Amino acid sequence: MASQGPPGMGPVMVLNSKTQRTHGRQAQLGNIAAARAVADIIRSTLGPRSMLKMLLDPMGGIVITNDGNCILREVDVSHPTAKSMIELSRAQDEEVGDGTTSVIILAGEMLINAEPFARANVHPTVIVRGYNYALQEALSICEKLALTVDVKDTERMKDLVQSCIGTKFSSRWNDIMIDMALKAVLTVARETPMPSLLPGDGSSMYSQKMEVDIKRYAKVEKIPGGEISDCTVLSGVMFNKDVTHSKMRRRIENPRILLLDTPLEYKKGESQTNVEITDEEDWNTLLKMEEEYVENMCMEIIAFKPDIVITEKGVSDLAQHYFAKADITAFRRLRKTDNNRVARATGATIVSRTDEIRESDIGTGCGLFEMRKIGEEYFAFFEECKEPKACTVILRGGSKDVLNEIERNLTDAMQVVRNVVFDTRLLPGGGATEMAVSTGLRRAGLKLEGVQQGPFLAVGEAMEVIPRTLAQNCGVSVIRTVTQLRAKHAAAYEEAEQDGKDIFPKCNWGIDGTTGKLVDMDEFGIWEPFSVKIQTIKTAVESACMILRIDDIVSGSKKKGY
Amino acid sequence: MEAPNPSSTGLFINGSRETGQDVRVGNVTAALAVANIVKTSLGPVGLDKMLVDDIGDVLITNDGATILKSLEVEHPAARVLVDLANLQDQEVGDGTTSVVIIASELLRRGNDLVKNGIHPTTIISGYRTALKAAVSYIKKEMVVNVADLGDEHLINAAKTSMSSKIIGKESEFFARMAVDAVKSVKMNATQADLAGYEAMSEGPTAIASAKKQRSKYPLSAIHILKAHGKSSTESHLIDGGFAINAMRAAQGMPTFVEGAPDSPVKIAMLDMNLQRHRMGMGVQVIVKDPAEIENIKRREMDITKERIRKIIDAGARVVLTTKGVDDLCMKYFVEAGIICARRCNREDLKRLAKATGGKVVTTLADMEGNETFDGECLGACDSVREVRIGDGEMLYVYGCAGHGASTIVLRGANEYMLDEMDRALHDSLCVVKRMLESNTLVPGGGAAEAGLSVHLDDYANTIKTREQMVIQEYADALLVIPKTLSVNAAKDSSELVAKLRSAHARGQHSEDPDDAGLKFTGLDLVEGVIRDNLAAGVVEPAISKIKSLRFATEAAITILRIDDRITLNPSQGQ
Repeated sequence: MASQGPPGMGPVMVLNSKTQRTHGRQAQLGNIAAARAVADIIRSTLGPRSMLKMLLDPMGGIVITNDGNCILREVDVSHPTAKSMIELSRAQDEEVGDGTTSVIILAGEMLINAEPFARANVHPTVIVRGYNYALQEALSICEKLALTVDVKDTERMKDLVQSCIGTKFSSRWNDIMIDMALKAVLTVARETPMPSLLPGDGSSMYSQKMEVDIKRYAKVEKIPGGEISDCTVLSGVMFNKDVTHSKMRRRIENPRILLLDTPLEYKKGESQTNVEITDEEDWNTLLKMEEEYVENMCMEIIAFKPDIVITEKGVSDLAQHYFAKADITAFRRLRKTDNNRVARATGATIVSRTDEIRESDIGTGCGLFEMRKIGEEYFAFFEECKEPKACTVILRGGSKDVLNEIERNLTDAMQVVRNVVFDTRLLPGGGATEMAVSTGLRRAGLKLEGVQQGPFLAVGEAMEVIPRTLAQNCGVSVIRTVTQLRAKHAAAYEEAEQDGKDIFPKCNWGIDGTTGKLVDMDEFGIWEPFSVKIQTIKTAVESACMILRIDDIVSGSKKKGY
Repeated sequence: MEAPNPSSTGLFINGSRETGQDVRVGNVTAALAVANIVKTSLGPVGLDKMLVDDIGDVLITNDGATILKSLEVEHPAARVLVDLANLQDQEVGDGTTSVVIIASELLRRGNDLVKNGIHPTTIISGYRTALKAAVSYIKKEMVVNVADLGDEHLINAAKTSMSSKIIGKESEFFARMAVDAVKSVKMNATQADLAGYEAMSEGPTAIASAKKQRSKYPLSAIHILKAHGKSSTESHLIDGGFAINAMRAAQGMPTFVEGAPDSPVKIAMLDMNLQRHRMGMGVQVIVKDPAEIENIKRREMDITKERIRKIIDAGARVVLTTKGVDDLCMKYFVEAGIICARRCNREDLKRLAKATGGKVVTTLADMEGNETFDGECLGACDSVREVRIGDGEMLYVYGCAGHGASTIVLRGANEYMLDEMDRALHDSLCVVKRMLESNTLVPGGGAAEAGLSVHLDDYANTIKTREQMVIQEYADALLVIPKTLSVNAAKDSSELVAKLRSAHARGQHSEDPDDAGLKFTGLDLVEGVIRDNLAAGVVEPAISKIKSLRFATEAAITILRIDDRITLNPSQGQ
């Protein structure tokens, strides 16, 4: 940045000359263009007729996906606004796990619709204010439109999950996937013991009764080979480890399981100790002691008569020998997370010192233990658990890439189920909610006075991008379909008005993403979780507002504080 | 005043030299350039800046101090302004943008006066006189003394400060949150603190302090946690509670513990390892008997076990440590049904200790050489709960027993937004704190500046020296605030400022009691009209206005005094 100094002097350099600066309208329009570019990248991956993207990373690896977050994560963008858009889809992914594509498309559309205002010199704060009014209105419309579902109603839940992963690659195997997602989540779900008095009003929104920890307790194991139809959810857990000694038993019914997180081999103390040996005898004693130490531990374990011993650390040859003699099957070097899962599935407690084992630490919840060979590898299965509060999902498929994509889809599906378990309200899918909001906003907007009216209506128009993109992706005439849909929703309002009562018309008409026809979502059975939709709309509008408020971009300054 | 040619000064230095008018013009140009950068971010209709560093990290902000800090300002005079904004940020916390704008305007006008042949020292003394008059006028006339400050005024002040920020649209929500947060950390000030306040807040506040028991609001007790996801309105305040960004160390631990009314949940806060004990660096134990080595090993485990036992026996039901906990030791906690979290932030623990009335324990050793865990060190609260937020977990501590502490958990669309919300909220918290401590407020939205400008104009007429001109310029310079406000709002600034001035002139000169309220006239930037900003609830703490005037004037004077600049060439490296 250089300002012109008095004549005869050079320009006065105030800032580092390497920095670049764009400001005013130019910055705003640049931001909008960047947002549009990001939205355009993933526009084609929305809906059941979506296309996949193949991405090559610098290492030469490939990713084939239609998951919005996944695509954007791999795309290396340099524009700061585009980056902030990508952050959105990450936040969405972490918070609700679904709707990552729609949030970007919606946010992009919000910004695109603001462009005419920016060009017409409407002050950004006015646009922002209009957008916020619209957001409030949109949320209240969504709330009126919502429908509560019973989590135990399997049919309804199936429809729901179907609508969510219908767009994904594995749609041929829909039924299996849906069953798997449902089973996995309902297995993992458990009632949280609630504190009797709920302290603080701020916490009430987090006072869900259920706890569903998919990340930790529903492990997805991908095994290349086999067919997609071979995928299952175990009522128990499985891990990729072989027994330590080939003579050990490979099939046990109702095993007693002991979990350890200590090494079953001799380990030196933490403190630095030196032993000075002057005697030959002492050397022998030292070795013997080490052996005795291992033996001792093994004996302590054997005293409890477990059938299976699993430890997170190593098992020495000597210990293996003792176990084999006592007819105990041992596993070593299990991961902490796997061990936790086994503990929860079988009801065992992980023990850290062998001299502190108690009868209650032994897990007896497992019905069948079996070693199975899949492909070239051995897997340990713990099945038929009585109350498995943890599970393993086994995915089979042709190649690693296919498996990765199925895993992403399944994760989405599980997140959908989880969201419904938390908040049992649903909203119609297939663009029906968006169109209802859009229609509602248009009507409310006309009654609004002042400059905000334009931006308010623009939000309504922007919401139409979802049905529009759905229609576009399945190849029907976009204008005809969307106008028909709009007419349907408008007619519902007219009808409600004629009835004279001030009731909100529940119009669930949307677009069938496969055929492009208009269908009533109530009959068609496409629903989406309330929390995902709400989060999508909120995030889209808030981020659009943030980007609109920027009028100056300075780039190239050095990172401070490092 | 002829600027000597640098080459003919005969100064044999390895560098360049600028003197006289040249350097002054250069400085003023630089200051104006800095002010121009932050100008558009002033006021409720100001906009944000996006700053991108060379790695590509993005910062979106509206805060003047943050903008200037992140821009690498190189010009020495401009750096003075950057430091000025920082100073304002530290001292007052809010108004960083306006202080820079006023200072640069003072400089510009000062420079013009110099061009007209007025010596800089006259300008400086004129500015000082004007400042003195302005401050005493604010204290006498503009200040509204609100002895018993209702929530309404506090919320209004918080709203005013955040109106220009990203959370401005949710100002009602966040203002209430800020006020609640500051009130929840109220402490009765000690005598020493009181003395400090007397020194800091001069004048009208002394009267208030005589009437009222003075309280202290340490903002450091308000903890702000950021977690992306959800929307900004889902941010919440945990009143009297504390949240730590840590999760249970083992899955077997309970997700919450709760105390009965008569037996609160005890929290142990440790700053030590709960790992297998190991000798310090370089300590070697040499044993003769091989059996001893086994004993050493066993002892190592037992030492930690005994420590844990002592902590559990003291009644702790939640154990938080800044260091690690071995898997080995985790089991004892799991069995006792205790929530244990490791690798907590030490600062957070210190705050929690303050909040729950406990102490952070660094060692268990006592004076007798034994190891004991003193029950006194345990903090107390109603319940502790692990809460899932987004993809991670946090520990919420409710109903802390000690004196105030509060946590605000911010939610937002993405990281950039959260960072900006954090900065905005910090400003508002500072404002609320100032209000509560000083009990006085002035109308905002350009009202104070316009009033001062009119008053100083009159005052200038009573001065018979050359300083009269300077004071008039000072009066005009203050109008830069209402002018910038209305320019940012895309309103007709000349007309609005004229209206504003005339309203204030009438209010100051008229004897009619009906016109007394006119001195609170300020701008309504949304509608583009003038109105009574006191009634409209646009208010600022008086102390921040006074301080920002002081800082701005001092900075302008510092720069005006410069008449020579020598830049040494960088020494040639070996």
